[in-house]
Amino acid sequence: MANSAKPISSPVPQEWYPTLAFFMLAVGLVATASFFIYEATVSKKNRSVLKELSTGAVASVFLGFGSLFLLLSAGVYV
Amino acid sequence: MAISRVVLFLFFWNAILWTPARSDLVILKLDRKIDLTSQTVRVTSSLKIENAGPSTASKVLLAFPSHQARNIAELRSFYREGKSKVSSDQLRVELVEPQGMPPDLTFYAVQLQKDLRRGEILNLDVLAVFTHSLKPFPEQISQTEVQLVVFQDSAYYLSPYVVKVQSLGVKLPSKNVESFTKFENSKLIDSEIKYGPYENLPVFSYTPIVVHFESSSPFAVAQELLREIEISHWGNVQVTEHYKLVHGGAHNKGGFSRFDYQSRPFASESSSFRHLLARLPPRAHSVYYRDEIGNVSTSHLRGDSRKTELVIEPRYPMFGGWKTSFTIGYGLPLKDFLFQSEGRRLLNISFGCPIEDVVVDDLIVKVVLPEGSKDFYSSVPFSTKQWEEIKYSHLDIAGRPVLVLKKTNVVPEHNEPFLVYYRFNNLSLLREPLMLVSGFFLLFVAYIVFMHVDMSISKSSASYISKLQWDEVQTSLQHVLSVINRCLAVHGKLEASLRDLSRTGDVRSCKAARKAADSVFKELLKELNLALGSLQSSPQAAQIWPKVEELVAKERELQERLILKHSSVVDSYEKKHSGREIENRIAAHEQKLVALRHEVDDLIEILDELC
Repeated sequence: MANSAKPISSPVPQEWYPTLAFFMLAVGLVATASFFIYEATVSKKNRSVLKELSTGAVASVFLGFGSLFLLLSAGVYV
Repeated sequence: MAISRVVLFLFFWNAILWTPARSDLVILKLDRKIDLTSQTVRVTSSLKIENAGPSTASKVLLAFPSHQARNIAELRSFYREGKSKVSSDQLRVELVEPQGMPPDLTFYAVQLQKDLRRGEILNLDVLAVFTHSLKPFPEQISQTEVQLVVFQDSAYYLSPYVVKVQSLGVKLPSKNVESFTKFENSKLIDSEIKYGPYENLPVFSYTPIVVHFESSSPFAVAQELLREIEISHWGNVQVTEHYKLVHGGAHNKGGFSRFDYQSRPFASESSSFRHLLARLPPRAHSVYYRDEIGNVSTSHLRGDSRKTELVIEPRYPMFGGWKTSFTIGYGLPLKDFLFQSEGRRLLNISFGCPIEDVVVDDLIVKVVLPEGSKDFYSSVPFSTKQWEEIKYSHLDIAGRPVLVLKKTNVVPEHNEPFLVYYRFNNLSLLREPLMLVSGFFLLFVAYIVFMHVDMSISKSSASYISKLQWDEVQTSLQHVLSVINRCLAVHGKLEASLRDLSRTGDVRSCKAARKAADSVFKELLKELNLALGSLQSSPQAAQIWPKVEELVAKERELQERLILKHSSVVDSYEKKHSGREIENRIAAHEQKLVALRHEVDDLIEILDELC
C-alpha cells in the first residue's frame, strides 16, 4: 500500500448527524407550515407565485437535507 | 478407501518406472510437518536444495498427486535464512505442466528470485494447506460417539528430485490414535507420529501411509459465503455476510436427543459445535445476527480497541451433516478502511471469512462502490474470478457499480487485506440530498399548481359562480385591509416623530415627517377608494359592507384626530409652550385616539376572520 495514502472520513462529523437532522427538519417544517398558511389564508388573486416557490424551495432544501441526516443517523447509509 | 489405495500404488509403480532426465537439483535435507489438529491440513516442508548440475536453475518444482492437488487451498513458499525461522518475502508459485513427467501428478513451480548456480545451496519453506482431506471413518456416528477420521499421504516426499535425507512428523489433535501405517523407523510419541529419517531416495518415491485418529475439532464448512461490502462516503463501510454452513464431519445417525445432549453439556469428545466465533475488525458497530427467516438468535459481542469478537449460537447444536444458514452484518468506520492516494480512493479490507476455523467452498466478495465511481480495479494477493455488476440501493438512479470477486476453497490463510481502487468525485456526494430536495420541491410545486388551476367541471353552476364572486370579495377585502394596515403603520410613524420631537425639540424633522405622511395618506386614499369601489359593486359583499364602511369611517376619524394632535403639538412647540400646557391641550385627543384605535383593531380582527 502506498505510504501517501490518507484516510478518508465523512464530510460532516458523524456525531453531528442527529442534531443536524433535528434542527434542519424543524426549520423545514416551520417553512412548510408558513407555506401552507400562506396558501390557505391569502386569496387566489393576491398570491404571488414567486413567494410560493421561494418558500417551497427553502422548505424543501431543509426537509431534504434534514431527512438525509435523519436516514444517516438512523444507520441507513445512503 | 480401497480404490484410492490402488491409485496410490499405481503412483508408486509409475514413479519407479519413470526416470526423468532432469535431476540437476538435489534435496539435501527435507523436514516435513503435517498438522492435523484442525479440519484444514497444513503441511510445512523445509527444503535444503543444492544445484548439482551444470546449468543454473530458476525454479523449483513441487509435485502433488492430482487427487491431493484438487484440495489445495493455498500454496506458499518462502526463503529461509540460516537457522532463523523468520521467513522473508513470499515467492511466486504457479501451476506448470512440465514435459515428460508422470501423469496423475500436478506440478507447481516456485519462481526463485535469484538463479541458483552450480554448487549453490538454497533453503526453502513451503506451506501447503489442504481442505476436505480428512475423511470421517466411520461415515456415520451416533450422537455420543467419538468422531474418527482418516488421513492419507506418503511417508516419502513426492518430488522430481533425489532426496538425500528426509523425515516426517504428523501432529494429531489427541493421543487417541486408532491405527497408523507402521513402517520402518515409525513411532508414535505422545500425539505425534514420526517417520524417518530416510536416506537417499530416488525421484518420485511414494509410500502410502494412512492415519486413523480421533478428531473432535469442529468441521464447519461454509458451502457458500457471500460477503457484501458496501461503501458509503457519508462515513460507513457496511459488511453483510450470508452463510450457508454445514458440519462436514461424520454424519449423525440414530436421531438427536436433546435430553442426552443437555445432560452431558461438556462432552468435549463430541464433534458437534454449538457456537462460532467471529473476529471482526475493531470499532465494528451495529452488529446483527439473524437466521434465514429473520429469527434473532443468541449472540454475544465483546470488544476492545484492537478487536471485536462476536460469538453466535445457531438455534441448534451442529452435528455432522447438519446445515444452517444465517446472516451477520456490521458497520465499520470509513476512515479505518478507505484511503486517498494519488487521486484515487482505495478500500483496504480483509478478504476471507471472519469466523474462526471455517473452510469456505465458494466465497463471493461483492464490493459495492458508491454511485458515480469510475475506473475501478482490485489488487488481490491470490487469483480470483472477477466480474462487474450493478446494484440498486437507497436513492439510486444509475445504480452502484459492484466488483465481484469469487474464490473457491478459502481457508483462514486467505484472511488477508485486498485493495480496490476507484475514482470518485466529491460532488457526487450531493446526489442523494439533491434527490431528496427535488422530491420535496416537486410536492410543493404540485400543491402550488393544484391551488392555481381551476379544476371545476361545470363552469356555469350557481355554486361555482358564487365561489368565484366570493373569491373576488375576499381579494378586494384583503386589499382594503392591507391599505388600512399601511395607514396604521403611517400613524405609528407620526407618533414616533412626536416622541422624537419631545426628546430633541427638532420641529423641522417633525414637519418633514408630517409632509411625508400626508403624501402617503393621499396615495393610500386613492387605493382605498379603488378597492372599496370593487367591493361595493359585488352583491356578495352586501353582508360585510356595513362593517367595512364603519372601519373606513373610524380609520378616517382616527387619522384626522392624529393629524390634529400632531399639528397642535408642533404648533405648541413653535410657540414655546411649556410641557404641561402641551399635555393639557392634547389630553382630549389622546383619549379619543386610544378609543378609536381600539375600535379599528376590533373591526380589522372581525374582517380578517372573514377572508
